[in-house]
Amino acid sequence: MIQVSGEFIAFFVVSCFVIGGAVFMIHLVRVVHMVLALAFSLLGIAGIYVLLNAEFLAVVQVLIYTGAVSILMLFGIMLTRHRDREEEGTRLWHSVISFVGVGALFGILIHTIYHTPFAGRTAEVEHYSTARLGETVFKKYVIPFEAVSVLLLVALVGAVILAGKERNT
Amino acid sequence: MSGWTFLGPAVLLLVVLGFVTFSILFERKVIGWMQARIGPNRVGPWGLLQTVADIFKLLVKEDTVPAKADRPLFKAAPVIAFVPSFVILAVIPFSEGLVFADIGVGLLYYIAVSSITTIGILAGGWASNNKYALLGAMRSVAQMISYEIPLVMSVAGVVMAAGSLNLTAIVEAQEKVWFIVPQIIGFAVFFTASLAELNRTPFDLPEAESELVAGYHVEYSGFRFAFFMLTEYVYVFAMAALTTVLFLGGWNPLFGLDFIPPILWFALKFGLIVFSLIWIRATLPRIRMDQLMQLGWKVLLPLALFNIFLSAILKEVLSGLY
Repeated sequence: MIQVSGEFIAFFVVSCFVIGGAVFMIHLVRVVHMVLALAFSLLGIAGIYVLLNAEFLAVVQVLIYTGAVSILMLFGIMLTRHRDREEEGTRLWHSVISFVGVGALFGILIHTIYHTPFAGRTAEVEHYSTARLGETVFKKYVIPFEAVSVLLLVALVGAVILAGKERNT
Repeated sequence: MSGWTFLGPAVLLLVVLGFVTFSILFERKVIGWMQARIGPNRVGPWGLLQTVADIFKLLVKEDTVPAKADRPLFKAAPVIAFVPSFVILAVIPFSEGLVFADIGVGLLYYIAVSSITTIGILAGGWASNNKYALLGAMRSVAQMISYEIPLVMSVAGVVMAAGSLNLTAIVEAQEKVWFIVPQIIGFAVFFTASLAELNRTPFDLPEAESELVAGYHVEYSGFRFAFFMLTEYVYVFAMAALTTVLFLGGWNPLFGLDFIPPILWFALKFGLIVFSLIWIRATLPRIRMDQLMQLGWKVLLPLALFNIFLSAILKEVLSGLY
């Protein structure tokens, strides 16, 4: 019997958000609606982070994924507008084969998860604070952090150069 | 979990609605006064019930949906826009102990959740299926995104000085000196960027009634329109409260005048910010789109970055002052 606590109810509601958003994302036909459903799903994932006491991660999830990435996708869709709707009409055998494939993948995943022993100890997540996270990133892992930021900078400059090249020709 | 968990937010909602009602009246009165007019004076004594009448009008108006609009999205957009504006109020500490969610990353929470409203505005503009609405929404989003960056950067100085992202801790760090004094550049950048985030004059390009009719909510009427307006004014409330908390020392008294209760100090500073917002609206003309972008990227962002460097140096050199 599962203990019904506030946390359990919250987890249940948030999971419904995540899964519901994902199902709607696949099911809807208009691209803009899909992006909004996806944003909803990503917001739900932030809720799961909150339940796991990772409040910094949750807030960053909202800031980056729900805010920035969704807006970026919406902008891309609205400014290009090449095909507003997805075409309907998939063949029956196509759906059946897809269903079998997805079912097999699900089975393999569940099998692997249940047969993997989780080694190591569980961390005391209640005591992790944002300050400690910052100290770890900027002291212990400062070199990987800097490497990643340089990599992102290179990607940014590269994107600008590629876009500029396209405009000139 | 006591009764206040459920009752508190309801009381806050009533306070916010009351604020919105009377701040609109106050705004119209102050602008009237600054432009040598009288302002609303017909409904109730001193025009006090003008906004109440306006809201009643909006409530009983027909709720129209354009025939070619995307119906579900058109109806959902005001809700998507409004909900974050109220949710962010949870982390604002109004007085010592009077805060709904004292979370460690309160400041980031405010910034992150308020960015969801942009999705609502964009969805509303797009779902209206109207070129002015779409243009207004695009402008609004471009403006909000470009000004969010200097806004966050200007706050970094405050975070460095206070050593915390928690808003209560930031207020407590200002017991001796308010951050407006050491962080004056940060305050200037923050205040300018917050004006742009609130879509208020001189940055009210998304609404620019003379060129875009009314921007993203041109097709909205009645209660849905009221929701967009409500969102804007709730953000005024939230942003004024955040400015008070970050730079004006929250509930900390000035000159040791601590016989005035802390909540009143908060309200005074908050009122001052709201008044300056209205004052700026009555004084400055609207700026052009390209000027807006140049100001954001070429002036505010470098200034904010400079402020971060300055704060870091000051923190190292004058560690006693901070």
